[in-house]
Amino acid sequence: MSGCSGTLSREHEKLLIGRARSGDRAAVRELIDLHKDRLFAFIWRMVFNYHDAEDICQDAFLKAFASLDTFSSEYRFSTWLFTIGYRVCLNRIRRRKALTGEMDFASLAGSGSDAASATLQSEEAGQIRDLIWKAVDRLGAPQRATIVLFYRHEQSCQEIARVLQLPIATVKSHLHRARARLRESLESLGEKDLLHLRNLSA
Amino acid sequence: MRCEQAHQLFDAYLDGELSPSLATELGAHRVRCADCRQALAILEVSGHILASDHDGAALEGDFSDRLLACMDGNGLGWGRRLLRGLYVGGPLAAAAMIGLAFLGVFDTGQKTRILGEKHIRSEVANVVPDSIMPAAGDRGSGQDQALDIFLQQAEKSLDAKRQSWESLQKAPDLTVLQLLEMLNALLEPAEGSPPDEAPFPGADAPASATSDIEDL
Repeated sequence: MSGCSGTLSREHEKLLIGRARSGDRAAVRELIDLHKDRLFAFIWRMVFNYHDAEDICQDAFLKAFASLDTFSSEYRFSTWLFTIGYRVCLNRIRRRKALTGEMDFASLAGSGSDAASATLQSEEAGQIRDLIWKAVDRLGAPQRATIVLFYRHEQSCQEIARVLQLPIATVKSHLHRARARLRESLESLGEKDLLHLRNLSA
Repeated sequence: MRCEQAHQLFDAYLDGELSPSLATELGAHRVRCADCRQALAILEVSGHILASDHDGAALEGDFSDRLLACMDGNGLGWGRRLLRGLYVGGPLAAAAMIGLAFLGVFDTGQKTRILGEKHIRSEVANVVPDSIMPAAGDRGSGQDQALDIFLQQAEKSLDAKRQSWESLQKAPDLTVLQLLEMLNALLEPAEGSPPDEAPFPGADAPASATSDIEDL
């Protein structure tokens, strides 16, 4: 998580958007640099494919800057960008489903294991981490988006509701179901694993 | 607190939305209940891992450059699309307008429309006297043949009007009746025509039919 957007003040963001609207290339670049990593991380978790994620990310930025005049400063730029990114993701997932039938998320998941974990170093911990991510990857798109935005991007239910364009109650319901699915997936863990989990969570 | 009640509070607890008193009650239940302790531990650790784990993939360093180049390309593309639209769409739109005008779409009905072949055929059929028709046994084909010839002659007379939009615009007062009068007028010279120029010049045309035409 870049966290850049978190440190970007509303005033500075408004200034950047104003400059970007008037065609200031430097402002456009700054906005891209501030948000690209977080947007890509979110999209990658949705589509599980680097090139697709990059395409969607690019598409989302292009759409966002093409319709910058319609952006309302009432919201954060990141919220708006994530909304566009999520919509593009959904379209891509639907198209892929139409081409290949129902997607097998389990077969697509697991590429995240390539990355080293900052928190879980041991082999056992790595397995648990994989188990958790695979459980997330098996969730439906709205539930997955909800849980990724909530935990990884530290967005509130209200912000998630704006991004996914859903009522807050629906977002909370998605979060509840996603947690229930996570719990079900991890209930098979033995006492040893649970002890490991408790130690990690402490 | 029962386990069912505790489970209902999990979300609020994890979201930090639980009141202090309920949080205390849930904490007390958690100490006593191994199942709830396990369930909450799983959720807490899952959340911790989801929040802090490294991203599975990262964008390449030149993403911003490529995106900016793409945006520049798109900008030019819009210009090109606009120019192409003017070059291609303009003439197409003009052609469509002429076509629609030719079909009489802009004629509000007070003035005549340029008649389609089908319409001319039906109008001509209404005014062609039965007397010019061939013998009863051959009436259908003979009538069609007669109408074809009348139509050809009518089209010849309208050629000038059909060749350009301007000429059509100059003749908006051509009514159906006037057209039919024109057709009748076209029929008149056939009286003096030699038999090989009669409306039924075909070798298979019955002799009676030729004479009927001549009678007109």
